[in-house]
Amino acid sequence: MDYGIELRDQEAVVRLRGRLTFNDHAKLRTLIGEMGQNKLRRQVLDLSSLEFVDSAGIGMLLIAREEMDRAGKQFVLRSAAGQVKRVLTVAQIAKIVPIED
Amino acid sequence: MTGSPPPGPLPDAAAHAFGGLLADARVLIVDDNRINRHLLLALLERGGITLIEQAEDGQDALTRMERFKPDLVLLDLMMPQMDGFEMCRRLRADPRWKSLPVLVQSSLNRAEDRARAFAAGATDYVAKPINAEELLARVGIHLRKRAMLRDLERYHSRRETELELARAMQARMLPGPDRLAELEEATGIAVQAHFAPSSELGGDFWGIERLPDGRVTVYLVDFSGHGVGAALNTFRLDAICRQIGSTDMTPAGFLAAVNRRLCGLLPSGQFATMLTGLIDPVAGVFHYASAGSTAPMMWHPGDEAPRLGDGSGLPLGLLPSASYDSRQLPMPPGARLFLYSDAAIEIPTGDGSAGGGGHEVLDEYGLATLFARRLHLSNDDDLLAGLLGDLAATGPIDDDLTALLLTRRR
Repeated sequence: MDYGIELRDQEAVVRLRGRLTFNDHAKLRTLIGEMGQNKLRRQVLDLSSLEFVDSAGIGMLLIAREEMDRAGKQFVLRSAAGQVKRVLTVAQIAKIVPIED
Repeated sequence: MTGSPPPGPLPDAAAHAFGGLLADARVLIVDDNRINRHLLLALLERGGITLIEQAEDGQDALTRMERFKPDLVLLDLMMPQMDGFEMCRRLRADPRWKSLPVLVQSSLNRAEDRARAFAAGATDYVAKPINAEELLARVGIHLRKRAMLRDLERYHSRRETELELARAMQARMLPGPDRLAELEEATGIAVQAHFAPSSELGGDFWGIERLPDGRVTVYLVDFSGHGVGAALNTFRLDAICRQIGSTDMTPAGFLAAVNRRLCGLLPSGQFATMLTGLIDPVAGVFHYASAGSTAPMMWHPGDEAPRLGDGSGLPLGLLPSASYDSRQLPMPPGARLFLYSDAAIEIPTGDGSAGGGGHEVLDEYGLATLFARRLHLSNDDDLLAGLLGDLAATGPIDDDLTALLLTRRR
């Protein structure tokens, strides 16, 4: 998995690319740190280029949500597609994290 | 030829660095020259090494090694009977001495000689005349390396033993053949199960239980991640399931109760998906609830393909107040129910034909298609084996895979 962060006026948009699995643990930790450091209150994870997520990946997204909560930031998942969208739907993640199309 | 060690005590730092490691180290000196042996002996003793054995040539050394069991060999190359090259080769041919440090000390100083010595299996090479500090430093380095390697090997083998034990414990948690035979006898429900952790220990587990009133509960759990952490959680959840019991609970009520217990226990980022169901043979219904598990598949005799249930629901351990939907699928006599962990629908298909650029995975529909193709097999064992073969042929499976096939025989 790779990512790029774009700081906009109202929100930071983090675009995840590739596969998000257990192997990306360290990278996601770094990413969460970067999201905590920028000044924007709204942190959006753009999942449109994410091809695959496994259960460990979902777990890491939930950790990110918790960390953003703690930092007083809003955390949003956006534009999931394919397998990623299916997994988020089956796990009803929308019940705990706002999901935008 | 004779490299005399510099007189006087060694610097303090060098002596300290060797510490207790050297006091227990066993060193074999192999040299045909008596004066050389004595020089090396004096040098080693000065460095704090006391367990020293001497050999006059390669043959003599090989004989002494059996009894002395050295931690390091100081080896001369030019010797009568058997030279150092030959001895080194023979020693390396014995698996017991494969990692033994062999420090060659020789007056043969050409690059080709060194290369030959290394080719024969030498660990390191010092040239004569011997520099006392250098030799002791190298001896110390190789002994420390050997001690660390041994530590690592010991740790590794202990870990292997413990994992083997844990694996056996986990296997015992699952229903064995005897219990399944008993279940089939009593209820007419035949179970074929496949359980394959992707690493030494898995994050999956399942169970099946006959209730006093003739109904049968079945559940399938998949913890996020795999390996030891996930496996430990399976033990926790197994204990919780036993405590709660499920006799008078609906599957949905049971999931909500398990979830409340698990929420306090799991660290952030960890969760489990679970499907729990209740087969009611009298009503011919499979009642179930799902916490983000996979869609159950139900096949009725005469149908061409299985019907897909609904696996959606919030995974366990995320939100204490989560509630779960009660769902059901008809399950008449002869029906087959297929439950599986998500590893089965996350297999990369790699063909990219669906426009995903090669990132597509075998989803529920792909799995249902494979299942449908095997439904003509009347023997459940053959059916499950065939289906697992299809999955393996689809692509690499890199997560724990559990698959359960339940058939109503009557």
